[in-house]
Formats: sequence, structure tokens, C-alpha cells
Amino acid sequence: MNKILVSDIIELCNNEYVINVKSNDVIFNVEGNVKVYLIDELINNLDINLKDNSKLDVYFCNKNVNNNVVINIKQNNNSEINLNLSIISNAKREIIVNNNIYGNNNKSMISSRIISNKELIKNIINVYVEKDTIDNIALEDLKGITNGGLIQIEPNITCLSNEVSANHLTTIGNFSKEAINYLMSKGLKELEAKKLILQGFIYSNQSDYIKNMGGD
Amino acid sequence: MLNIDNINLYINDKVLFEGLNLKINAGEIHVLMGKNGVGKSSIAKAILGDETYKVDGHIYYNDIDITNLNIYERSKLGIYIVNQSPMEIEGVTNAEMLRTTLSDKTNEPINILKFNKELESICASLELDKRFIHQDINVGCSGGEKKKIELMHMWMLKPSFIILDEIDSGLDVDAIKIVANSLKKYYEEYKPSILIITHSNTLIDTFDDYYVHLLDNKKILLEGNKELAKEILSKGYKNLIKDEHLL
Repeated sequence: MNKILVSDIIELCNNEYVINVKSNDVIFNVEGNVKVYLIDELINNLDINLKDNSKLDVYFCNKNVNNNVVINIKQNNNSEINLNLSIISNAKREIIVNNNIYGNNNKSMISSRIISNKELIKNIINVYVEKDTIDNIALEDLKGITNGGLIQIEPNITCLSNEVSANHLTTIGNFSKEAINYLMSKGLKELEAKKLILQGFIYSNQSDYIKNMGGD
Repeated sequence: MLNIDNINLYINDKVLFEGLNLKINAGEIHVLMGKNGVGKSSIAKAILGDETYKVDGHIYYNDIDITNLNIYERSKLGIYIVNQSPMEIEGVTNAEMLRTTLSDKTNEPINILKFNKELESICASLELDKRFIHQDINVGCSGGEKKKIELMHMWMLKPSFIILDEIDSGLDVDAIKIVANSLKKYYEEYKPSILIITHSNTLIDTFDDYYVHLLDNKKILLEGNKELAKEILSKGYKNLIKDEHLL
């Protein structure tokens, strides 16, 4: 059975859900194989509970985040989560993800793309793997572009078991001058080049659905 | 067409060239040769408008002083470069970049059907899988694929002055044949001026005639035609410079 239970549903096709949230606190109880798209939703707290043998892909894209966001995930046995966050903000924000892995044979892949236009955005990812568990995988791929603002990324993975495969990749940078020059040499104005680079970056971990819905 | 008029070229206050003159007329092919590190690519980047390089003097393109124009403005005039290691741009597809550029150039919306058809036909002629059209620019591509993608851009953008910075380096025999044929076809169709930077004759021999400039010691040491290229390639840079008592 493939299903997702949330407070406010939504739209559904082949286990793919576009969530239109009416409250700031949302709970996902996931069973089976599910994909969720969250586009420009005003979510403060998102709790995700993955039942055993379930898989959840979350595509979360907000190009003007108006609040802090906390996402709490619980995984028990044989589950997989791919959480793809894309966030742009002009204001001071905290985007926090806590994933607690309590059982065996789970996979957690958390990817974030952050653009800060003015103030500091903190992106804190905490993955915790319980002791005496086996065959868990915890991966983090966290990237930011400071487009006039500041970014702080904290990739924390706490493993109390010896049998965990864990890896994280974190980069924060400004625009690549070489990339802008390259696009300008093809006939793009500097502003257009920057726009394309930012757009490409923010959607680089998102699904085609989000890219098509997202616009500029 | 291009006139580099007695310039001094610097990078970070280091002098790369002094009193450099280079005139390339419409439809002419010129070849820059010289040992590694002599500054061949620096000339290419200075023509392109890379701000890393400081130019004292003037560079003219079609009688317009382009010395203070930026890369975009020079590109709009028809100047185009294929670098030896083309950039990878994550998240920006070839189609997206070309659509944006072409609509800026023509000030008209792009006819997507025609645009895709043209790109597919260019890919076929370059023996390049058409899936690259909608892939991120050069990301995860081999050296040969990157050079072909740069030529795909060239065919779409139709520049009038093309700089080929060691486009022949790192290509296998089949790829170099495809690249050379594509360039020759473009040359025959649009008659652009071409500035080639190379260490071998594999690409330049595709063209019937060309001018050669040997660079060393911050200047052009020797100029000639395809015979000079042959001499350079048979003797080597060091021996030729010694034999000719050039330094």
C-alpha cells in the first residue's frame, strides 16, 4: 500500500502528492513508496514518520521563505528518505532538519541548496543513528550561494553504531567569475548569466515537476 | 576586422607582451604558435575581454574600439571563443542558454520547433548525441564531447570572429576529424575570421591557407604562412629560434 496521511490533502497521482498546506504544522505518516512536492508552502514544522519498508522523496522548494523551518524525521527499519530542500531568502532564517534513525537498513539522503540574498541563513542538518543498529546509510549534500547575504551550514552526523555508512559534502561560495564570463562570452548579459546560474543552482536537486512549476 | 594596435598586455602588473600588433582581416585564418606559457591564451582572453588582463593601447574590431567593452558586448559584435577546457555550468542546459542568448540577440521569441530541429541537425553533423541539447552545459562530458558542444553553440550563435584555443588538444583521431570538418564547413558557409592557437598541424592542415605567428619573449618573433608552421613543427620552437638567431 502506498499512502501518505497529512492534515491537508491535496492532489494525487500514482503516489505523487502536491501538498497545499493550510497550517504551519504538518505531519506526514508515510507507508509505501511516496513522492511529495511542496512548492512555496509556509511550513514551520514538518514531522515525517516513515513506517517500515517505506520510501519517501520530498521536493521542498521555497523561493521566498518567510519563516524558520524545522523538519523532524523518524526512520525505523528498511526505510528510505530523500529530502531535497531548495531555499531562497532575503531575511534571517534557520532551516533545521533532524533525522533520527532508530532501526536497521535505512537510507537517509538530505540535500539542500540555499541562496541568501541579504541576511544570514543557517542550515543545520542533524542526523542521528541509534546504537546497536546495522546497515544504515546517512548522506548529506549541502550547498549554498551567498548572493549578497551570508550562509552558515552545519552538517552534523552522530553515529552511535559502528555499522553506518556516512558521508557529507558541504560547499558555500559566491558566483563563479569564470562561469559568468563563460556565459557572457556566449552572448548573455551579466545579470542574465547570474540569473541562469542561480536558477540552475536552486533547481539542481529538484524534480522536473518542480522545475516546470517553479518558473523564474 | 580585428586590429590589435601596439598594445602592452599585463596580468597582475606582470608584462606578458610589449608592443604587440596583430591584424586579422575578414575571412582570414591566423595561427598563434609558441611554447607553453608564452602567453598565447592570454592574447585570446584579452581579445575576448577578460578583465583579468590589462591592455595598454587599443584593440579594434570592425573599426570599433573594443578595448573597454566587456565580454558580453564583444560577444554581441560576433567574437567567440572555444577554450581548451570548456567550463561546466551545473543547472544550466545548452538549450536554455542558447534560447536566452538568441532571443536577446534577435529581440524576438524563439520558435521552439525550429530551434530544436536546428540543434538536432547540428548534433547529427557533429556526431553528438542529441540528449546533450537538454543537458547541463558540459557537465560530466568527456573532453571530445565538450569541444563538440562548443561547436554546437558556435553553429547556433553564428559568430564572425572565432578564437580556437587548442581545440585539437586531447581529441582522438575520429573526434578531431569531425571537429575539423565542422569548422571547415562553417568557414566555407560563413567566412568568419579565425584565430587558432595550436601545437600541431592536425587542425590547421584542414584549411588551404593561413598566416602563422611565432610568439616568444613577450612579442611576435616570426611571421609567415603554412610553410612556417611546417618548419616550427619539424624543428621545434627552441631549435627554430636558435637557427634563425631570433633572440
